[in-house]
Amino acid sequence: MTLLGKLDWSAVPFDQPIIMGTVGGVAVAIVSILSWVTLKGYVPYLWREWITSVDHKRIGVMYIVLALVMLLRGFADGIMMRTQQAVAAGGAQGYLPPEHFDQIFSAHGTIMIFFVAMPLVIGLMNFAVPLQLGVRDVAFPTMNSISFWLTASGVLLTNVSLAVGEFAKTGWFAYPPLSELQFSPGVGVDYYLWSLQISGVGTLLSGVNFVTTILKMRAPGMSYMRMPVFCWTALASNLLIVAAFPVLTALFAMLLLDRYLGFHFFTVDAGGNAMMYVNLFWVWGHPEVYILVLPAFGIFSEVTATFSGKSLFGYRSMVLATMAICVLSYTVWLHHFFTMGASASVNAFFGITSMIIGVPTGVKVFNWLFTMYGGRVRFTVPVLWTIGFMVSFVFGGLTGVLLALPAVDWQVHNSVFLVAHFHHVIIPGVLFGCMAGYNYWFPKAFGFKLDERWGKAAFWCWFIGFHLAFMPLYVTGLMGMPRRLQHYDVLSWQPWLLVAEAGALVILIGIICQIVQLVVSIRHREKLRDTTGDPWNGRTLEWSTASPPPAWNFAVLPRVDELDAFWAHKQRVLAKQELPVRRHAYRPIEVPKNSPVGFVTAFVAVVTGFALIWHIWWMAGFGVLGAAVTLLAFMFRTKDEVEIPANEVGLFDRAHPVEVSP
Amino acid sequence: MTEMRWDVAPGDRPTIPVSEQKASSGFLVYTLGLLLAVILTVTSFWVANTTAIWAPGVPAGLAVLAIAQMGVHLVFFLHITTGPDSTNNVLALAFGVLIVFLVLAGSLVIMANLNENMMPHTELMNLQMQR
Amino acid sequence: MNVAVEMDAVRQGELLDISEAGPAPKRIIAGFGFWIFLLSDIVMFSALFASYAVLAKASAGGLTGVQLFDQRNVAMETALLLLSSYTCGMMSLAINSRRYLATFLGAVVTFLLGAAFLALELREFQGMIALGATPERSAFLSAFFTLVGSHGLHVTVGLAWLVLMMVQLSLRGFQDVVVRRLHCFSLFWHALDIIWVLIFTVVYLMGVLP
Repeated sequence: MTLLGKLDWSAVPFDQPIIMGTVGGVAVAIVSILSWVTLKGYVPYLWREWITSVDHKRIGVMYIVLALVMLLRGFADGIMMRTQQAVAAGGAQGYLPPEHFDQIFSAHGTIMIFFVAMPLVIGLMNFAVPLQLGVRDVAFPTMNSISFWLTASGVLLTNVSLAVGEFAKTGWFAYPPLSELQFSPGVGVDYYLWSLQISGVGTLLSGVNFVTTILKMRAPGMSYMRMPVFCWTALASNLLIVAAFPVLTALFAMLLLDRYLGFHFFTVDAGGNAMMYVNLFWVWGHPEVYILVLPAFGIFSEVTATFSGKSLFGYRSMVLATMAICVLSYTVWLHHFFTMGASASVNAFFGITSMIIGVPTGVKVFNWLFTMYGGRVRFTVPVLWTIGFMVSFVFGGLTGVLLALPAVDWQVHNSVFLVAHFHHVIIPGVLFGCMAGYNYWFPKAFGFKLDERWGKAAFWCWFIGFHLAFMPLYVTGLMGMPRRLQHYDVLSWQPWLLVAEAGALVILIGIICQIVQLVVSIRHREKLRDTTGDPWNGRTLEWSTASPPPAWNFAVLPRVDELDAFWAHKQRVLAKQELPVRRHAYRPIEVPKNSPVGFVTAFVAVVTGFALIWHIWWMAGFGVLGAAVTLLAFMFRTKDEVEIPANEVGLFDRAHPVEVSP
Repeated sequence: MTEMRWDVAPGDRPTIPVSEQKASSGFLVYTLGLLLAVILTVTSFWVANTTAIWAPGVPAGLAVLAIAQMGVHLVFFLHITTGPDSTNNVLALAFGVLIVFLVLAGSLVIMANLNENMMPHTELMNLQMQR
Repeated sequence: MNVAVEMDAVRQGELLDISEAGPAPKRIIAGFGFWIFLLSDIVMFSALFASYAVLAKASAGGLTGVQLFDQRNVAMETALLLLSSYTCGMMSLAINSRRYLATFLGAVVTFLLGAAFLALELREFQGMIALGATPERSAFLSAFFTLVGSHGLHVTVGLAWLVLMMVQLSLRGFQDVVVRRLHCFSLFWHALDIIWVLIFTVVYLMGVLP
């Protein structure tokens, strides 16, 4: 074994122009940004206010920034695949050789699920949940920072695989025996496994954090049935994280043991059972999609109620439906492998449960519709994303009900029909939800709104582009086209795939519109300034704070008497039944102290992960040692809180009164 | 804010404030728990090794004894009770138990079914599971 | 003008339902959070248990459980871990009444019992490996070593944590944060014994049934 394990210069793919071009471009971009930041003197500010921050609002923003950047990479992978499939028909070979194409579809799935959707959802929950609950932060703020930085570590490792080594070529589930050492001897699967193991720890800790926060830390008077619906969906989602991610951790540990120590969990010889991997993967995998979509449903509930000017229809049934989905999501997983060979009775059981789980979602859709009915709906950007979701997701969900029938699934399993289905639920469901949330809460986070016109343009491009890109796949799927094809001989598929390519280009325009929206909004931020803290005439507690809120969120924790407490208060003030309280005395507030633990943990994790991937054992040893030292430093720290003096609290509070206007 | 705290952390003794708990009552609880656990454990070992019990019933008996032992640990060592102050803790535990049950039972049924249909049946090689 | 109403100003002395009483004290938050983490750990073990159950008979012509498991050894390991749970409980009582010497004594005995458990387990593993029953030999052995080994790894981490807590206790005394962490440790330690109950029942006892 050399000093650098398996690592040598042949790990860098100098002979692949597309990769080298991308790596070069990214390297230039990173160096430019870092240089600009350093030369402008922003490093101390960034370190103090963002990198070492344990404030849930800052961490939430960082998650979303991470996710949006990775959306660019994941989308690039997607459009590369569309382009390849648009041209590689019959005699044409396209521009991506199979070994590269395989890495692209594997990276696309991995990045979109783990490094776009998860951070978007977790970031939005991070930002909004404590504010909606009327408290100052989550239960474990330092651990929150560690969670974020571990996710960032996974992102870094996955992206490093582009420049040094390769990524997995197994698809984003990494089924054995293909993912075993025998058939994937390179480092690709190891990059996949270690990136996800590391970020998985972060996610699990987030789950623990939010379950504890929602169950044990709410404003006085906020009983469970007075919590905003978004908090209920956040609770359900985080319960699922706690229940599902450990299974993935165990599963990846078993595959890693097979690959590193020659164990036989899933090998073809010595008694291994590859089907068990598939089973356990989807035990995690199905709850995962509900982890993603439930908070999105919560965002839709908030947006619908706020912009209809009405309380959400059927609050109790929403809560019941959410918790029902939470439990039911753990009873359907076999529908991901109907064709693996289980008997008809087993398939039928899971087919039935898969259909049942559509019912509570249907309840939610009706509740949203009834909320809007009779209300005065303002067609803002978040509402457009919501309506786009309602229209699209119902159809996507219906194709899911189709697929729930084992007999149907046997025809279209692993075809692009399936690909169309899951994009049809994830994009309108999760992505549109996160876009709605992003536009909805942006003014709260930054103090100015996002530009409406570019926001609407972005929405329409996404909505039209999405349908153009994925509806043809239903057709070609029914025509027999399998997923993950680098090349095909059935020329009658090509016209449809050309339409799909056009759709991808329209989505690209949509993404550009969103980037422009951000730039324009920052340029015109004074015109778009949110001076009141309540730009949408909101209903929940976060709108009672300044935009952006101070570190301590609330000078005094609000006393809550009913659902939509802020809205109720505003109505009473307007009806002159209540006077806003004028506070004369403020108390000092203790807030959690910043900590570099998260960032250091990330550094150690990346070093350890990289070392393990390349079999650089001494470096891995140092990494583990570093982790131990970091843990000790955290354990023995003396001060974990900082006191904000009462007059500072008072100054801010008096400078940012809540204005109630009709 | 000195309103009565009704909530209890998992593992804490319920209701009685810590300062008022008699040291001896805690000692009794733990000792009783130990005795019960020892009895159940010894019984498990006996059940597994004796011929006095009808063989097909032995796994079920062991399972029941294991569940009883876990219950003893939860109640006597971890103080998980059904009082109103412990609701969150009990609900969390119930959720965990539900998930464990779904994962275990689901996986066992599914894998048994899959293995029966898909794994090679050879008498010569000991490759497949027989459950 | 401010929306928020002073908490003190309203409803003094009213008995609130626990769900309306505002954020819980730190001890409850820490304890509950750790409890949730423990439940996630138990889910992880259940995935390992499921794999073990599926692969228990897949010995690929190698040594089987019936041939390898030594019940006397397992009985001793069980006794040691159960006793260590008891002494951990004694330690908890000492912490509740803030008695230093009793706490340290409880910790030392718990540590020794836990270390003895590990020693027996390591010896068992060594014996199996010497017979050629390595985890690379068959799927059954892979699953066995992973399941039982994971538990042993958790015990090791627990022992290291206990040592660190005693160091911190001697440096800081019964500070709130130290007491909270000791409380979390005892939750962890008892949970490990619960997992062991399942392991010795499912792996060892059921594993040697004809």
